Amino acid sequence: MTQASRRQFLRTASALSIAGAATPWALNLASIGAAAAQSAPSDYKALVCLFLYGGNDHSNTIVPFDVHGYSQYASARTNLALPQSALLPLEAPTNASLSGRQVAMRVEMAPLKALYDAGRAAVLANVGTLVVPTTMEQYRARSVPLPPSLFSHNDQQSNWQVAPTAREGNRVGWGGRMGDLFAAGNQYPSFTCISASGVAVLLSGASTVQMQIGSNGAVRVNALNTQTLFGGRDTGTALRALMTGERTHTLEKDYNALVRRSTESAEALNSALATVNVTTAFPTTSLGTQLRNVARVIAARGALGARRQVFHVSIGGFDQHSGLVNGHGPLWTTIADAVAAFDAALAELGLANNVTLFSASDFGRTLNSNGDGSDHSWGAHHLIVGGAVKGREVYGQFPTVALRGPEDIGGRGSLLPTTAVAQYAATLATWFGVSASDLSRTVPGIERFSTTDVGFMRAGQ
Amino acid sequence: MLRFRWPARSLALVIAAMVAACGGNSDVPAGGATSTKQATQLDDAGAARLLTQTTFGPTPADIANVRAVGLENWINRQMSMGREATGTHLDYVLAQLPIPTPEGVTVTIDPVYHSFWRQALAAPDQLRQRVAFALSQIMVTSTMDGNLARQPHGMASYLDIFAEHAFGNYRDILQAVSLHPTMGLYLTSLANRGDNGRTPDENYAREVMQLFSIGLFELNMDGTPKLINGAPVETYDMDDIRNLAKVFTGWSWGNQGTPDPTNARFSGSTRDAMRNVVPMQFYPQYHSPDAKSFLNVTIAAGTDGRQALNTTLDALMAHPNMPPFVVRQLIQRLVTSNPSPAYVDRAAVAFATGRYVSASGNYSTGAGRRGDMKATIAAIVLDAQARDASVAAGADFGKLREPVLRLSAMLRASEATSQSNSYRIGVLDSQLFQTPLRAPSVFNYFRPGYVPPNTELAGRGLVGPEFQIAHEVSTASYANFMQGAVANGLGSAAMGQTGNDVRPQYTQARSLATDATKLVDHLNLLLTHNSMSASTRSTIINTVNSIPVTASNAAANRVNLAMFMTVVSPEFLVHK
Repeated sequence: MTQASRRQFLRTASALSIAGAATPWALNLASIGAAAAQSAPSDYKALVCLFLYGGNDHSNTIVPFDVHGYSQYASARTNLALPQSALLPLEAPTNASLSGRQVAMRVEMAPLKALYDAGRAAVLANVGTLVVPTTMEQYRARSVPLPPSLFSHNDQQSNWQVAPTAREGNRVGWGGRMGDLFAAGNQYPSFTCISASGVAVLLSGASTVQMQIGSNGAVRVNALNTQTLFGGRDTGTALRALMTGERTHTLEKDYNALVRRSTESAEALNSALATVNVTTAFPTTSLGTQLRNVARVIAARGALGARRQVFHVSIGGFDQHSGLVNGHGPLWTTIADAVAAFDAALAELGLANNVTLFSASDFGRTLNSNGDGSDHSWGAHHLIVGGAVKGREVYGQFPTVALRGPEDIGGRGSLLPTTAVAQYAATLATWFGVSASDLSRTVPGIERFSTTDVGFMRAGQ
Repeated sequence: MLRFRWPARSLALVIAAMVAACGGNSDVPAGGATSTKQATQLDDAGAARLLTQTTFGPTPADIANVRAVGLENWINRQMSMGREATGTHLDYVLAQLPIPTPEGVTVTIDPVYHSFWRQALAAPDQLRQRVAFALSQIMVTSTMDGNLARQPHGMASYLDIFAEHAFGNYRDILQAVSLHPTMGLYLTSLANRGDNGRTPDENYAREVMQLFSIGLFELNMDGTPKLINGAPVETYDMDDIRNLAKVFTGWSWGNQGTPDPTNARFSGSTRDAMRNVVPMQFYPQYHSPDAKSFLNVTIAAGTDGRQALNTTLDALMAHPNMPPFVVRQLIQRLVTSNPSPAYVDRAAVAFATGRYVSASGNYSTGAGRRGDMKATIAAIVLDAQARDASVAAGADFGKLREPVLRLSAMLRASEATSQSNSYRIGVLDSQLFQTPLRAPSVFNYFRPGYVPPNTELAGRGLVGPEFQIAHEVSTASYANFMQGAVANGLGSAAMGQTGNDVRPQYTQARSLATDATKLVDHLNLLLTHNSMSASTRSTIINTVNSIPVTASNAAANRVNLAMFMTVVSPEFLVHK
């Protein structure tokens, strides 16, 4: 394939997957074209979703620090409570819901605390999946629709990544929908939604196909790049026909399409990555490697002609029903070190204000102990990091951290969310450049919430 | 029987099993449970297709064997084979890593993977092995867990549950899983306390319902969700979870001999040498004395915890969701990703009644108890949806072959042997993105309801579980890995040996190497049950023929190239 035809392929790759399909997608395609026409940004922005698989124990992530708040926390958490000496109090949040209360990060988050202090990181309190704004009375009476399969890992991952009415098996996430809006403005639409950590429905659009990158960028199929495999002749040509040719069987068709995408994107990505140099050192953890690769792809944005990109990175191990006391801190050491390196790399690239990283997770966890861990719950605190973040602040409604407090749905300190994932997503989408009129098709259900911007992003950046 | 080409080991085993079972002929009713009036005769391709669904990969000997004895008899013989030939996974691991650990021996998890591959590649009881693998993907534990990564005996013994009960009853599997310390560690039910008003850990209570028994939504017998006003109906809620969590309290480390439920043993400070493999035992002092009420079951306050557990497992077994929930997943693991509701219904009826009678009435099996695995597996494998060539020809039929089964099929077809006889194949995460017993979570590598986005499957409203680990990186990595493996095998050399431990031998393929058509047809039968399209077949034949038979290493190169092209062909990757 020549360079020109490869480029043409990549331009149309996301559209190709639609070509053979039935009508519903054709409608989407039309709307994408219309939407794309009104955006076409000239600057560069990227969103990076850091997914904490398993359900982060938010109560030991952002912890009450003032005397009364800490004492309530400690008595509710019993053996799970962090000692106050192992907390780093956050300075200067003006959030009215705190009304003078002080909160802290656990000590392993020191590099994130430094970003917070520098005004480059913020906390969003008690965010979770909600279909509509929901009061405790409405929750108890089940008088409003609730997200399906609350507390179930896979379904709540889908809820977070797709929409609050979604379950596992959904196909289009809000990162992918943003991709649908902006892919046409990227020279290579294939490089709009990129995962460094497995397939995540977040990144799948109606037309936008998510791409995986490996621990060293793209992986080429070696056999397609030689014509003399095992002493044969024209083996690459024969194998290309076999592995990437059109098929009639449904599953064969899908698999060959994948190999086709893999080979074409690998060529373009590897040649683009060859031009970049990111000198910032990253930790050698999986998350460090993932974020390093994201930074390299961002560094190659010029060669890739990318203006808007959405990334997915992840770290697992948060389902700490047991071993929470010793197991939670190391996860946050890993996160803090990797995110701090990522932030430094963006500064090196001169993109400190152009990239926003945000955390997400299946759900929060119960406040009380099950013996030596916590169980699945609902609302949770999350972090947003980047130069465009209005940092050094706590957003949303910080809950009462106590059993049977006003946000506790059942006596174990499981939080009824006071900010919806849709509002979290809409705030990020608005910064990314999604117009108000495109918001409800990017973040399904946002129209049911009067506040679509929680306020943690700087306007006009 | 001696005229069939049984591998020596399996012949001895079959004879032993037959003698043990019914004193001579396993094809006649044994205790009234199994009856074959007339076995269905298969051709080579039909036998290879059956073996693709029911083993770790067809071999010429197994194809001849299936053809000789007939479909139903082959199933019967597989189901009545004991595990004597290869022994248990625990036996194998104990031989490598005795308990107590001898001085100078490092405990690693590797022998568990080796035992898996040894049995998958070389054991004669292939149907048992394949069903056990399928069950291990429904009731998942994983060496990704830091605790389990240090428990080779526990992991081996856990895997043995599925091999032992593959043709037993699902109720026994559920109990063995619920009480195994490996599961106790993985889903944190071990040492879970409910005494003195403590809040129990809800982990196992949730997943045993969501993943191992009934699932999230009420199902019809055919596996489709029951809808009320167009919406699915949840099977349980948070109150059910909280109550069920109380059942799974008071269970912790067991010991050999007379149960010794002391506080020190519960907490782990007193250790039995075999505590990672003996079932968890009951400690009444840590059990929740509360009444427990869930799924229309009420267990009175103060009920003995063992009785509460039995009542609970019986209730899960009796739940109407159980048959379709379990059999649909087994069908997906063995036959096809998108079984028709009627197919699920027939297999679910066999599970529910514990009895399978073939449509023709020629064959029946099962002990008549709900959860009977013989009846279930027979119903899945012998159903017209699994066997009819016209069904298999449909554009949506079949499944993406998962990477572990791709590798096993290649190695069996290439007559691979292990230099050390230990099958030293380890973690394959970066090559295959799948390693047996090493899923990222209890949700396995892929979910039964996974819909790959932006695909033809999605557009047609179909699922493709195995596509969850198919992406740009894994597809390329697979091809690159196989390019080396078809020629040189894989697995680290044992002490004192050199080169890869597990290597293809290709005795039969080499003998056909000068005739590309025969060579490719040999692989076409073994790896795609003769389903290569004319164009795929001719592409491979022509490319093999580009290597002159007179060139140096021509035989090896022609075989390697033919094998590589076959295992990256779409006809191999998607088995129908």
